[in-house]
Amino acid sequence: MNRIAKKIVPHVILTVFSLVILMPLIWIVRVSLTDKLTAYKIPPEIGTLGLMNYVDIFQRYPFVSWFANSFIVATASTLVALPLATAMAYSFARLNTGGALLRLGVLASQMLPPIILVLPLFGVFLLVGLTQSRVALIIAHLTIALPFLSWMLVSFFEGDMARLEEAARVDGASRWQAFLFVAVPVAAPGILAAGLLGFILSWNEFLFVLVLSGPDTQTLPVGLASLETHAGVEIAPLAAATVVSLLPVFALLPFLRKHLIQGLSLGALK
Amino acid sequence: MASITLDKITKTYPNDVTAVNGVSLDIRDGEFMIFLGPSGCGKSTTLRMIAGLEAISSGDLLIGGRRVNEVDPADRDIAIVFQNYALYPHMTVARNLAFGLRLRHVEASEIQSRITRVAALLGIEPLLSRKPSQLSGGQRQRVALGRALVREPQAFLLDEPLSNLDATLRASMRTELIKLHNSLGTTIVHVTHDQVEAMTMGERICIMRDGDIVQVGAPMEVYRNPADTFVASFLATPPMNLLPGRIESDGDGLAAVVETCRLPIPAAYREAYASHAGKPVIVGLRPEDFQAVAVGGGRTAPVALHTITTEVLGPEVILVANFASPGGPEVHIRMPRDFRAKTGETVTLHFDLPEIQVFDPGTTRVLARPFLP
Ligand SMILES: Nc1ncnc2c1ncn2[C@@H]1O[C@H](COP(=O)(O)OP(=O)(O)OP(=O)(O)O)[C@@H](O)[C@H]1O
Ligand SMILES: [Mg+2]
Repeated sequence: MNRIAKKIVPHVILTVFSLVILMPLIWIVRVSLTDKLTAYKIPPEIGTLGLMNYVDIFQRYPFVSWFANSFIVATASTLVALPLATAMAYSFARLNTGGALLRLGVLASQMLPPIILVLPLFGVFLLVGLTQSRVALIIAHLTIALPFLSWMLVSFFEGDMARLEEAARVDGASRWQAFLFVAVPVAAPGILAAGLLGFILSWNEFLFVLVLSGPDTQTLPVGLASLETHAGVEIAPLAAATVVSLLPVFALLPFLRKHLIQGLSLGALK
Repeated sequence: MASITLDKITKTYPNDVTAVNGVSLDIRDGEFMIFLGPSGCGKSTTLRMIAGLEAISSGDLLIGGRRVNEVDPADRDIAIVFQNYALYPHMTVARNLAFGLRLRHVEASEIQSRITRVAALLGIEPLLSRKPSQLSGGQRQRVALGRALVREPQAFLLDEPLSNLDATLRASMRTELIKLHNSLGTTIVHVTHDQVEAMTMGERICIMRDGDIVQVGAPMEVYRNPADTFVASFLATPPMNLLPGRIESDGDGLAAVVETCRLPIPAAYREAYASHAGKPVIVGLRPEDFQAVAVGGGRTAPVALHTITTEVLGPEVILVANFASPGGPEVHIRMPRDFRAKTGETVTLHFDLPEIQVFDPGTTRVLARPFLP
């Protein structure tokens, strides 16, 4: 009896917690399959379900363009940020570049409200003629990704990593070879985790895109927001669009689970 | 193969810690040199400077006669085995061994044959395809050694490589290393805390303290002729008993007096100790130089010992006792395995007088006397 209770109680608690987190998601999925009128019914009504909203977002809205922009910006900014952040983290950890001051400064830039950063950025892009371009968005997202990813990666290059590199140096590696053939592969789980984080940060970023993008370069978060303003809130297509925009994150989930945890728990050495 | 010469080498870390202080040492080509000293005395720092992992603050480092102060570690042709092994965790054992050779563009067939040879030597053939995380401590240690061996470098630097192993494995790896040195004849510098390693493995021991070299010499030479009280109390367990006493005239000779006990100084040492006649000294008596039976010809002198306790170790018994009187200084004496004494019992043992050492209490240096074989 006691043993059965021991097994059941945690499951009940976990189920309740899961429901709290999942309810909004379930609600969105339901709404995405109904029409606007049914969507607001309380108590919730299932009504007739259909895929009309999904068709709608592709026909009446530039959903493909939003999705493609999001994908391009997130992928490009991550691919550029990752090697830079890795090099930054390495030089913070192993060469103590700029001392504690620079390290803190880099992080402090992320403590400012983003709105303070976005206006000067807008000014700069205006000057060089990059406003409304995807390149501008990629650069803007780099300013977010670099500080976060480099901070996340610093700990991977500290401690035992120095011993490994020393072993490599004595084995005949140059500093660069030791970095490339030993430090980077050993930190790979962390670098991968950082990459996933960078992708998600960019994928969800709203304010920079809102200010810096043009009609052709809007990404999903800004595109979805525009559904809320036209003629009231287009709740049903919005839900459908949200569901589709979540798909890449779901696709990344198996990797996330494996590498983010491994990467963040730092057990790589030993 | 190469000699390693340290000429007045100093290392001051950025935090103003001087870890190594003007150290000079000649390590001969093919020599097995032991660095021994308490924690923090600068052994690892010295090793790391030889390897090129730590910049030398002042002085010259020569490997094979060539000054290498500014030479990159990669170009010194030296292998190092770290205390924590530092195996590359993302590579298999075989790749770990091959790494240094691949960087040096050694031909694949040559790499293969060297790995095969070294793996056989160390008995790690079955492990070649495993990752370091799948190895036991002893296996990792052998792989780390193998990674150094395949390179066939000019010298090996070993930083306490055996300290993580259990006693049995340590004993067998000790023998392996000695055999390896006998067959390869490569220069080896071996850092250790371990008395037994220090006494048994090296051709010479270099004893360090607070960034200085205190004494360099063959193990038995250092053991029988310690340069000062630090070396005397550091080498061997239990260490030399250091007792406050005096040198006094004894007829036409001298005697070392501790408490009420007079130890006549052998005639051969008189000249060496004459300058300290009438002065306080520190008298050093090794625990193994006491015996139950007197030897004729004045070679031994009787000592009364007031038993505190006995430690029966198996092969031997350690007698812990007050020297000469019940309130005398505590001494440790090594006796044969069948020796017994009860607490409070007074035992008379005989000290082997030629083994006496006398130290100046001010400088703690030994009063140099002729060495009796
Ligand atoms: N990177 C460093 N920065 C500053 N001080 C250091 C550094 N490395 C070592 N030291 C200091 O230098 C001194 C010598 O250290 P070292 O590691 O050479 O000692 P060791 O003889 O190898 O000791 P152990 O037997 O404990 O390994 C110590 O006082 C230590 O605190
Ligand atoms: Mg050390």
